[in-house]
Amino acid sequence: MTQVIAKNELLRWLEGLSRERRLVAPVRTDSLTLFQTTGKVEEIALDFTNTTLSPKEWFFPATEALFSLERKDGTVELVPNTVDRETVIFGIRPCDASGLIILDKAFLAAPADAQYQQHRSRAALVGIACTSACPECFCTSMGTAPDDASHVDILLTPTGESYTIQVLTEKGKTLLARATVREAEVAPAKPPAVNRVPTENISEVMKRAFETPYWNRLADRCIHCNLCAYVCPVCYCFDIRDYTARRKVVRVRSWESCQSPGFTRIAGGYDPRPTKGAKLRQRFYHKLLYMSEQLGVVGCTGCGRCVRSCPVNIDIREIITDIQKVGARNVA
Amino acid sequence: MLLENPFVPYLARVENTLDLTPDIKLMSLTLENPEVRESFDYRPGQFAFLSAFGVGEAPFGLTSVAYRRGPLEFAIRRIGTVTSALQELEAGALVGVRGPFGNYFPLDDYKTKSIYIIGGGIAMAPLRPVINTILDHRADYSELMIINGARTPQDLVFANEFDTWSAAPRTRLELTVDRGDEAWHGRVALVPAVVKELKLPPDNAIAITCGPPIMIKLVLVELKALGFNPRQVVTTLEGKMKCGLGKCARCNVGDKYICKDGPVFTFEQISRFIEQF
Repeated sequence: MTQVIAKNELLRWLEGLSRERRLVAPVRTDSLTLFQTTGKVEEIALDFTNTTLSPKEWFFPATEALFSLERKDGTVELVPNTVDRETVIFGIRPCDASGLIILDKAFLAAPADAQYQQHRSRAALVGIACTSACPECFCTSMGTAPDDASHVDILLTPTGESYTIQVLTEKGKTLLARATVREAEVAPAKPPAVNRVPTENISEVMKRAFETPYWNRLADRCIHCNLCAYVCPVCYCFDIRDYTARRKVVRVRSWESCQSPGFTRIAGGYDPRPTKGAKLRQRFYHKLLYMSEQLGVVGCTGCGRCVRSCPVNIDIREIITDIQKVGARNVA
Repeated sequence: MLLENPFVPYLARVENTLDLTPDIKLMSLTLENPEVRESFDYRPGQFAFLSAFGVGEAPFGLTSVAYRRGPLEFAIRRIGTVTSALQELEAGALVGVRGPFGNYFPLDDYKTKSIYIIGGGIAMAPLRPVINTILDHRADYSELMIINGARTPQDLVFANEFDTWSAAPRTRLELTVDRGDEAWHGRVALVPAVVKELKLPPDNAIAITCGPPIMIKLVLVELKALGFNPRQVVTTLEGKMKCGLGKCARCNVGDKYICKDGPVFTFEQISRFIEQF
């Protein structure tokens, strides 16, 4: 027997949750499906393949204050930004949940990133398993799957007008306590087929592909728009700046990309990675080799967003395929 | 590390400032909180971020030594917005200090060895605490050679300490400039050329070098030619940094983060990516 929730009961449950905490769910705006705070459960999109942006920004916002400096009676106080709202992220896909696990490895490694840690510990994840895959998806080549339940608190799987429920954590159990569910005999849903990319042994292969004109050739068409980094559920490079408003100074962190001019330029103007080719190579080396060396995991979930977003068709699937050939040629 | 939130700095007050060169100032800072002041411990080679509030934050090598219990000292070259703002601060001004970060020169492992300090310009800042530690524990080490280079005689940093350095036993100070002037009777040569000329003997020795990337690379070439093993040559690297925690990924080179795996590396450790630096 499996726990099942009807669609109308699901919405009723979410509405209840939205009254006591922040509910973040996919909402359709024009042609985009984006995670947004919502209190109106009828506006939640349930028929999306995947959201335009991953829910990364709810844990690592595009722009966020780290602390503010306040001047009071001749003294100065630094007030850290704190996250106090409990949040439910509803509708996260398994690939994006596995992206959060990679962010955890980067941000929670000691000394932990206090801001990320607060966002993470105050959020519960209600995932929805995929019933269809985009042509750009390749999650199964990156260690996750359309029905991967391992990184969420609750995973729902659509079955007709209802959803079967897997409760994975205590947090999930507590959340679900208020839902009206029933027990039913449901045949397990068959996950959709996902295109494969030859990622076998990719980190080892990358070690043999550093010195090749391939990267320069590929980078010739990059326009440094940074979209790939912004849509990526894993990219976490950031910038820190000060903003001044009246008597208050706010130190702000924002998303940054290794493709930006000036990303590595040091005081005095020297840039150890000045060329397009070196910048683009860094993007793929960080993801496919350095992250696996530093964090023990490849920095890609196979969500396919960078493939869909790139205005000049730089395609990580094509790169992985090509590098397998380059690496095979360069075996010493 | 003490910081509860690693992005929120400690407050510190500018004790005094000293012009070292036309564009480099030594800033002495005292942490405001007595408990923090007591527990803020650091080693030669470590760095900290300084905040000019409202302008921003940048990393600087700690150029003082902790065991002397004095103020925190930083040599700051006016080169961008943050350094310009810091240089404008006068005694009594408040700044932010975040750190200490990074690893350090393992000076205990260098005991009984000869130490060659090879620095250029502002890069003498992270090397000064190495020099002072060796001078304060002079009997623990063998020969000390300091090669200090700069663009012009006016740009030689820590000139006020040269007499102390060269007066120390078994210590030799070699100054060199790229371009001399009428008053300069010393060497006019690039640092790597001085290394070559002095034929530094590699036996039981450690060479510590810091400077512009091109200088570091050429110094390595000369040291290798003199028979130094990459394990005997140590450097401290500079990189764009925002966090100091190995998270912002700005200073990532190869499998390393300069801020957290470094900034101090032997050339053996960075052989894989030295060309990318």
